[in-house]
Amino acid sequence: MTGSTVVRFVRTRREATVLAMLILVFIGLTFASEFFLTGRNLSNVARQISVVGIVALGQALVIIAGGIDLSVGSVIGLSAVTAAIVSAMTGMPSVGIAGAIGIGMAIGFANGVLITKLRINPFITTLGTLSIARGAALLITNGNPQRFDNWAAYLGYGKIAGVPVQFILLVALTILVWLFATRTRWGRNVYAVGDNARAARLAGIDVARTRILVFTVSGSLAGLGGLLLGGMLTNANPNLGLGYELDVIAAVILGGVALSGGRGSIGGVVIGAALIGLLRNAFVLLNVSGYWQTITIGLVVILAVGADSLNRRSEED
Amino acid sequence: MTDCLLSARGIAKSFDQNRVLHGVDFDISAGEVVALLGENGAGKSTFVNILSGALPRDGGTIRWSGEETVFRDTRAALDAGIIHIHQELSLISSLSVMENLFIGDYMTGRSGFIDRKALAARARELLARVGAAHIDPRVEAGSLSTAEQQIVEIAKALARNARLLILDEPTASLTPHEAEALFAIVRDLRANGVAIIFISHRFDEVFAISDRVVVLRDGRVVGDRPVAETTRAGIIADMTGRAFTFDALDRPAISADAPIRLKAEAIADKGRVGPVSFDLRKGEILGIFGLVGAGRTELLELLCGIRPLAVGSIMRPDGVVPGNSTEAWKSGLALLPEGRKTNGILPSLSLAENVAVAKRQKSGGILDLGAEKSLFARFRDSLGIVSSGPDQPIRRLSGGNQQKVIFARCLASEPDILFLDEPTHGVDVRTKADIYKQIQDLAKKGMSVIFVSSELPEVLALASTVMVLSRGRQTMLAANQGLTENDVLTAAFAQA
Repeated sequence: MTGSTVVRFVRTRREATVLAMLILVFIGLTFASEFFLTGRNLSNVARQISVVGIVALGQALVIIAGGIDLSVGSVIGLSAVTAAIVSAMTGMPSVGIAGAIGIGMAIGFANGVLITKLRINPFITTLGTLSIARGAALLITNGNPQRFDNWAAYLGYGKIAGVPVQFILLVALTILVWLFATRTRWGRNVYAVGDNARAARLAGIDVARTRILVFTVSGSLAGLGGLLLGGMLTNANPNLGLGYELDVIAAVILGGVALSGGRGSIGGVVIGAALIGLLRNAFVLLNVSGYWQTITIGLVVILAVGADSLNRRSEED
Repeated sequence: MTDCLLSARGIAKSFDQNRVLHGVDFDISAGEVVALLGENGAGKSTFVNILSGALPRDGGTIRWSGEETVFRDTRAALDAGIIHIHQELSLISSLSVMENLFIGDYMTGRSGFIDRKALAARARELLARVGAAHIDPRVEAGSLSTAEQQIVEIAKALARNARLLILDEPTASLTPHEAEALFAIVRDLRANGVAIIFISHRFDEVFAISDRVVVLRDGRVVGDRPVAETTRAGIIADMTGRAFTFDALDRPAISADAPIRLKAEAIADKGRVGPVSFDLRKGEILGIFGLVGAGRTELLELLCGIRPLAVGSIMRPDGVVPGNSTEAWKSGLALLPEGRKTNGILPSLSLAENVAVAKRQKSGGILDLGAEKSLFARFRDSLGIVSSGPDQPIRRLSGGNQQKVIFARCLASEPDILFLDEPTHGVDVRTKADIYKQIQDLAKKGMSVIFVSSELPEVLALASTVMVLSRGRQTMLAANQGLTENDVLTAAFAQA
């Protein structure tokens, strides 16, 4: 890339703004805290990024297709307790893993079918399943946390060569979803459907199937997220993932995905998730009140999107 | 004339380089009903939009009640009493009828709240004046039928003390009985001194209620006569009497033993179009003409499986009849839809993707992006698409170039039947010529084409067979040999 294309990239892509913020925060923390660059802290940060990032990959596809999935936080809770209960019941952790991902997949599929066949707005549909999934998690556990410490939990707490397993999963899934989104017919159809659904349909794209697909992927990844989060804590709490959908959506938006659909990159979403994870870590290291975390993340989202839309306006004029 | 309510002189208007109105003179007096006629694109809508302040004029003067006036916007025209009722009604369906009637001008009591009783009483009075006392002013406007909504629109015009009422195809979606009720109101308004400009494509209505007939053609007034001195044939001659803007293209005859690609037998949907029957042969170009609302787009949707077939049957050589647009493309049909912006382009996606999107749906999951770019390059050269490269988002292109890209999308899927809905709508003359040439060449190579057009010369120049629809019915199906504009228009206005 020549100098001018770099400038253009930075000026026109929200990912670039967010990447710059990420690097700034990283450098700042390196100097501000002696603990930041320790292996232990970095693997903590990696864990914090992983679940948000994995769930955001699915959410990004949904938003690019012109939808939104509010149910992911509740799916995390439900799938965590499902993993714990199913693996305890069957004595086979592998069935627990299948159960966690399967329950997420089922809820995602149900979201997709309700949205496309009954034509209920995605916001309303997933607001409903948000409530239903959380209620189901509380119901089957009677509100009690479940022990979850078999080898399935290893996916959440384990490390390979010092790198958390879930971070490796994030990297692998990012590559997979990126290939899907950029190199496959179905992935490109996701963009087309979000960009102009009518035109996409008239050009022969099966719009309903595309929408069902993205919600199913989002649900499945949220199911995996629940498994990892439960495993990391070796304890599946039915309230796990409460409010998680907001972090996930923030990561997607920070990553440059247009809420109106049709635009966004998978790489950007991971950068967005990384920024959120790093900010959360910063507050812990700098010993600032946790309440400031929440405020700051809100400010960062508004700042990043605002800067981007100012740039875009000057670009379009 | 000194007693004119409105007198327009030399009204001119251009869009970009395209001159739409060339010095239109028009007068209307209080208590007069003037029918404004012309083919699609003759400039009727542009002209009335200038009168109602929706468009600025480039030249000419308007005298309103004897004084020279410029209406800067629709608000100014409304205040003067010029009210334009569009074909698409503008009531806010979630508000009550009375709120709609007085929107922006609610009567408030001393409390500052809306006085609902006074509002309802005035609404009833207005509704009674338009013969619609049966409509409860408190119901939601959206719950009314189209005809009732139309009447409420007119009542709303009265609430604003209309002096000039412009009705743009008011009967397009009304039943004959409802239309008759509307005319009763129009006659009543005329008796009360309201001037009315009435745009319609239905001659019987024109003769029934207007005092004078003004015909526009290519942005000029070509006829202005009292209705008593006018005949149906005379109006058609006025509307069409133009020289061809391009030479008739060379049309090879379709032999009767060419294989049939598609056979439609008495097909119809639920009420908008049909019954329609025809055979489409290899290399045939079927041009479908009809006025706006005649059911042309609906017919294409029916043939492509987008609109459900209520009766009749469609036959294809391979026996596959598509049930939705995905199946249509897979079975060798390709559709260029009407409305490039809303139905055609995928605005943020690249040119290469906009071309490849339909072809992709037939192949496997993994894409060959390099091949898609060279596919685009091929069509860029053959269709003359002006762009900065295959990765450019299509929204940055001009309308004509966008249309070529969508055309390329159709060709890239290698169809055996090409469906084109207003393929040259909103494109410049040069692009038009390019598209005509392409269609001709494709047909010579054996592709069958079905195209819909509002431009009669285009249909006559391009089609090997002409079909005419009138209010959903097929009123003509003939080989394009010796057909005149007059024949086709007569069929388009026919009472099927």
